[in-house]
Amino acid sequence: MPSEVGTDVAGFRTTGSPQSSLRVEVWGYWTPEIAQSFTRDAATFVPKLTSASALLIDATNLKPQAVEGQEALRVFFRTLAAASFDKAALQTDNVLTRMQLTRLLRECGLDGRVGFER
Amino acid sequence: MGLVEDEAAQAIHQFYAALDQLLRGFGSHAMSEIWDHGSEVTTSHPFGDWARGWGEVSASWEETHAVFALYKGHAARSDSVGKIDGLHVLVVGDMALATSVYKGTMYMSEGPLRLNVNCTNVARRIDGRWKIIHHHTDQAPPEWNAAIGAMVQRGHS
Repeated sequence: MPSEVGTDVAGFRTTGSPQSSLRVEVWGYWTPEIAQSFTRDAATFVPKLTSASALLIDATNLKPQAVEGQEALRVFFRTLAAASFDKAALQTDNVLTRMQLTRLLRECGLDGRVGFER
Repeated sequence: MGLVEDEAAQAIHQFYAALDQLLRGFGSHAMSEIWDHGSEVTTSHPFGDWARGWGEVSASWEETHAVFALYKGHAARSDSVGKIDGLHVLVVGDMALATSVYKGTMYMSEGPLRLNVNCTNVARRIDGRWKIIHHHTDQAPPEWNAAIGAMVQRGHS
């Protein structure tokens, strides 16, 4: 299940188990290739979430994304909106990234189910 | 100011006119036009972190446009969203360094929201045209970020 795509500059990694506790770390400014890989990976791990799952999306070092990155996150959030999980939280330090994620969560109907930890 | 400083200053004013267009929801085309699109350009807004290279810089402006597309306080106003005071331009060769103070006001449902930040812009003369290659402002105060963040959260101003 754990996977990692990208470089130190931009990419994502998943650790843990979707059935219990899953951490999705995303960082940098994604190329279209990274965005496509994320969409593929998310389609694999999101359906495995259960009503007992805790999901942490660590976007501490994620930069505001262009069209491709936003679309990958949008697909992820829409899939997540249809999934069952116990709790989900987001972390980010970049104020503009937080605004982008807030907007995408609202667009995807997830704003009440995924909270910001910081 | 001399002629070359006047030309560089005109580019700075074009940048802030483009910013007003963007904040008013008229798109990012004018902003894109005034920037160089190279890999060395940099920007830091009143919110957020550094963006480096045109891809990141462009994404930061597009997101700023998306954020302020939610702002509905323009309908009854005829003044600009913001203006710059005290513009000072220094030109050395094909590079221009400009400092100023940006003063903006948003009319939110809770009342006016003001922002005063020091700004630095660097322009470079490329093929005879001044293009912005660097933009930096002070960080906005937490209460300004909180008000804009709340607007994004609820989807309207």
